[in-house]
Amino acid sequence: MAGRRPIKVKVNGIEYEGYVEPRKLLVDFLREDLELIGTHTGCEHGVCGACTVLFNGKSVRSCLMFAVQADGADIMTIEGLSDGKTLHPIQEAFREHHGLQCGYCTPGMLLTSYELLQENPAPTEDEVKTAVSGVLCRCTGYKQIVDSVMAAADAMRK
Amino acid sequence: MRLEGKYKFDASQERVWEVLTNPRHLEKAIPGCERLQESEPNKYDALLKVGIAAVKGTFTGKFEVADPDPPQQYRLVGEGSGSSGFVKGEATIHLTAANEQTLVDYHGEMQIGGLIAGVGQRMLGGIAKMMLNQFFKRMGNELKSSK
Amino acid sequence: MKPCAFEYLAPGSVPEVMDLLQQYGDQAKILAGGQSLVPIMNFRLARPEVLIDINGLKELAYIREEADELVIGALTRERELELAPLVRLKCPLLPEAISHIGHPTIRNRGTIGGSLAHGDPSAEIPIAIYALDGTIRTLGPDGESAFKPEEFFLTYLTTCLEPSQIVMEVTVPVLPDGTGWSFVELSRRSGDFAIVAVATVLFMDDNGACTEARICMGGVASTPVRAKAAEDILSGQILSDALVAEAGRLAVEATDPESDYHASADYRRAMTEILVRKALRRAWEKTRGGK
Repeated sequence: MAGRRPIKVKVNGIEYEGYVEPRKLLVDFLREDLELIGTHTGCEHGVCGACTVLFNGKSVRSCLMFAVQADGADIMTIEGLSDGKTLHPIQEAFREHHGLQCGYCTPGMLLTSYELLQENPAPTEDEVKTAVSGVLCRCTGYKQIVDSVMAAADAMRK
Repeated sequence: MRLEGKYKFDASQERVWEVLTNPRHLEKAIPGCERLQESEPNKYDALLKVGIAAVKGTFTGKFEVADPDPPQQYRLVGEGSGSSGFVKGEATIHLTAANEQTLVDYHGEMQIGGLIAGVGQRMLGGIAKMMLNQFFKRMGNELKSSK
Repeated sequence: MKPCAFEYLAPGSVPEVMDLLQQYGDQAKILAGGQSLVPIMNFRLARPEVLIDINGLKELAYIREEADELVIGALTRERELELAPLVRLKCPLLPEAISHIGHPTIRNRGTIGGSLAHGDPSAEIPIAIYALDGTIRTLGPDGESAFKPEEFFLTYLTTCLEPSQIVMEVTVPVLPDGTGWSFVELSRRSGDFAIVAVATVLFMDDNGACTEARICMGGVASTPVRAKAAEDILSGQILSDALVAEAGRLAVEATDPESDYHASADYRRAMTEILVRKALRRAWEKTRGGK
């Protein structure tokens, strides 16, 4: 009845096959089945943003999707942001401008910023603040995060 | 949460008292009540299936018709718990005759805890009001059908 | 928490959805955007036995202009509506309202049909659709039906949809040039649920008088509500500060708010008056060429 289904998902460019219960959340599939633990669980109801991934190019809360919905999809997690050797300019900017402390919200912040800068390569500070307000950070007070994203935007426009 | 309100019934005070304190009618009137059984005089065990849209829960609970002062006043004390949380409440129900009708007014307190309280807070007051309205409407039907 | 187990079905066509809904009745829930359903499933407050995933029905996502209306498929994502040039031009109240829904990530998945079917009295889309006097088209075993918002929204999280019916499409009017409109929301943080939200539309004639006013409020009753008395005093009038102030005052009479830990009923009533005045002023500005 609620038995496992086979799914095929591309994550960070690699094709994976999985065998999941329908109720398995996408975030748990990524973390447990694929061992990509960069995506974090926080609230499990979509408000904290720690579980944010890119699903067919658009940011989604992976705690509000089921793994079975990802069959045939193309997903990018935080592990896919850098090429393994060089940090992505957004990551470099967060490093330089202290855009993280505990790091728990960071994958969500980075992917949300990545999407923002794709849609809007020259955002104002207000636009950055609006975008990152969707991810909850308890450590930084957001200032360094906003600075990091503004710096990343500059770097990426060069 | 405070609960208070009024309702008018088209029946004599004695009849309204009888219906409001009779488990046979209470079982039909309490929204979602599947079973109401007397365990001791004036004390009842209840099974309630309550839901709004996708959120449904089964509650087991106890009611008591306390300090009965027929036919004008009694206290209704109840508590229930289920997988979505728990509810505890108490209300004083007062009946007054008004010509051929009876005016019922109630005031009381309700505490809700557990999951629904944490997540469903925005809806709780409205849902409580809705359930009370349903209760009195059904009581009105009970009065009509038991004539 | 993690959701309870359920049977998962992903039909490929609308007739299949209809069959499945008839088969499973109220044991099944439709999975569209999932931004309201999955949270309550994760809390185990909702435990549907069957989930019918309609995300594969791409034919239900569209935005078209037909005569003087915009016709929008139920599965159209909120983010798409927010950014679509056609909607921003022809019915700008809708994208403005949608921009207040959560955050872009939520709006990437949330759908217009899902928001309407969910029936949250504080939700932005129901408020905007009611202010626009839109039409909600549904499909069930007995065929198609059309509902006006006042018939569709019954109470908290409850619409007139039967378990065997789905929302198919929404139509909204193309707003004539010179029409005033606004959407104003009060919430603790941007993206939170509205404590009080107000949508207004002001239809104007060539002499600068308001021919018809619409004021729809959310967060103040068990469904979104229109402030009819306030609307009536503005219709047929040249607007003035005094009229706007009076409309704000009258709007409060249409509310029936509850207290909860976000805001008391008194606070919601007080904010209704303030937000209605603010929303009307903004809409009025627009009729005079303001932004």
